[in-house]
Amino acid sequence: MIPRESTALRLEGRGLVRRFRGGAGLRGIDLGVATGEIHAIVGLNGAGKTTLMRVLLGMLRPDDGEVRVDGVGLRSADAATWARVGQVVEQPLAYAELTARGNLEIAARLHGIELGRVAGLVDHAIEEFDLGRYARVRTSRLSLGNRQRVGLAAALLHEPAVIVLDEPTNALDPAGVILLRESLLRRAAAGAGILVSSHHLDEVARVADRITVINDGRAIGSLDPDGVDLERAFFDLVLGDDAARDDAARDDAARDDERRDDTPRSAA
Amino acid sequence: MSARVAPRGLLRAAITVEARKARSAHVMLWTTVLLVAGIGALALGILAAVESGDAQVIAKLGPLVGVGGWAGLVGIVVQITAAGGLGAFGVALSWMFGREFADGTVAALFAMPVPRAAIALGKLIVYAIWAVGVALLLTGVVAGIGLVLGYGVTDAAGFGEIARLPLLVVLTALIAVPAAWAATLGRGLLPGIATTIGIIVVAQVLVITDVGAWVPIVAPALWAIAPDSVPAAALLTVPSVPLVFGALCALAWARLQLDR
Repeated sequence: MIPRESTALRLEGRGLVRRFRGGAGLRGIDLGVATGEIHAIVGLNGAGKTTLMRVLLGMLRPDDGEVRVDGVGLRSADAATWARVGQVVEQPLAYAELTARGNLEIAARLHGIELGRVAGLVDHAIEEFDLGRYARVRTSRLSLGNRQRVGLAAALLHEPAVIVLDEPTNALDPAGVILLRESLLRRAAAGAGILVSSHHLDEVARVADRITVINDGRAIGSLDPDGVDLERAFFDLVLGDDAARDDAARDDAARDDERRDDTPRSAA
Repeated sequence: MSARVAPRGLLRAAITVEARKARSAHVMLWTTVLLVAGIGALALGILAAVESGDAQVIAKLGPLVGVGGWAGLVGIVVQITAAGGLGAFGVALSWMFGREFADGTVAALFAMPVPRAAIALGKLIVYAIWAVGVALLLTGVVAGIGLVLGYGVTDAAGFGEIARLPLLVVLTALIAVPAAWAATLGRGLLPGIATTIGIIVVAQVLVITDVGAWVPIVAPALWAIAPDSVPAAALLTVPSVPLVFGALCALAWARLQLDR
């Protein structure tokens, strides 16, 4: 069991930089997820949320900065470290040729669960995510929402201490959204640290303890989950940041022009 | 809350998972059926064409025409297998590795206690076991064809020739392994399939030009056509292909980044 009194960060990124050609990427993000906390990140498409999650999970190596997973640096992370992690970033673990149950069984093995414990954990996950009707159905025949449920169950069945979910409510029906919400709240109450991204500010406000706004590869501020008009507060932050960057870019361009004008030209 | 880990079982877990995926997928099943049934049907068709005096087929078979019996049958089958089998094995490997990128499931294989290098090795081990199964199945089917054609009576002494077949199938499977590396580097099925076609073309061209008994990707095809021209030691170089490219594959999976 996770010690609930622990105050250590379950997940931590410091000074994370990852540049892509064309200018996108992370530009120095600090972010932490505490024990028992649900930390949500919100931002427009292309803001850097998925890139941040990929860097935190070792899917991308940062150009600069450091990641710690449950107190362990990524370079030192071993099987025991990763056994405490559950994640769905972009595609869930849901192989089309396997049944829902088959996918959960292979997920359990990949999470390092001993063979003797697999059946019990899979039964529990099927019950938790209400997948009983689809347990013996090939995943290729499931709807997008039910495939997402299978993937979420696969990521959470081993009761991870560190949970990273990228837009997990995508494709879920309202019943699935409630199942996931209850599942995350229960796990956070048991001591897991949860990082979740979403476009749905209302949904985020229902579960998150903390909301960080990401824009242009940076953490530009936070929203109060109990605030009255999250959408307005969100756009105030994002548009204010965009305007500040535009102003800074204009100032830089003007300074460059002045420097060029001051440079003595060689005589013709 | 956190799961206990059995580190010794991580490779075993990867093999179990990959075996289950391969067993459940239609791709592996249909590749087996098409390869074995296709080679069997082609061999029967060629024998029937020779029997009926088809000049084109007789010209293409060359010295094999007069051989007959088990040696003739096995000679025809190994020639088909050297090219067709390589294609089938390359497609299977391209699917096993490339589908993780094409389907996007590769992202789910990160942040797991089972290392990605173990997953890559698990895929190759399952592939090797499957290839041995295909070799035994094809040998059984060809033996059945020979017995139906009466070679059990007319050429009982030549039955030992059939032992060449499983060896050729396994050697052919081994030289297809670069397809797995290409599918990994190219992040999909097509680079693996293109590499397979490249190996087939290079191997066949070098065989025709009578070059390369000591080139690992050529030796099996050359041995299929002219067993006497390939020393046994040259066949022993063939495992260097899966060893080198298997290691490259494991390294590529260990260092993988989702940056494309």
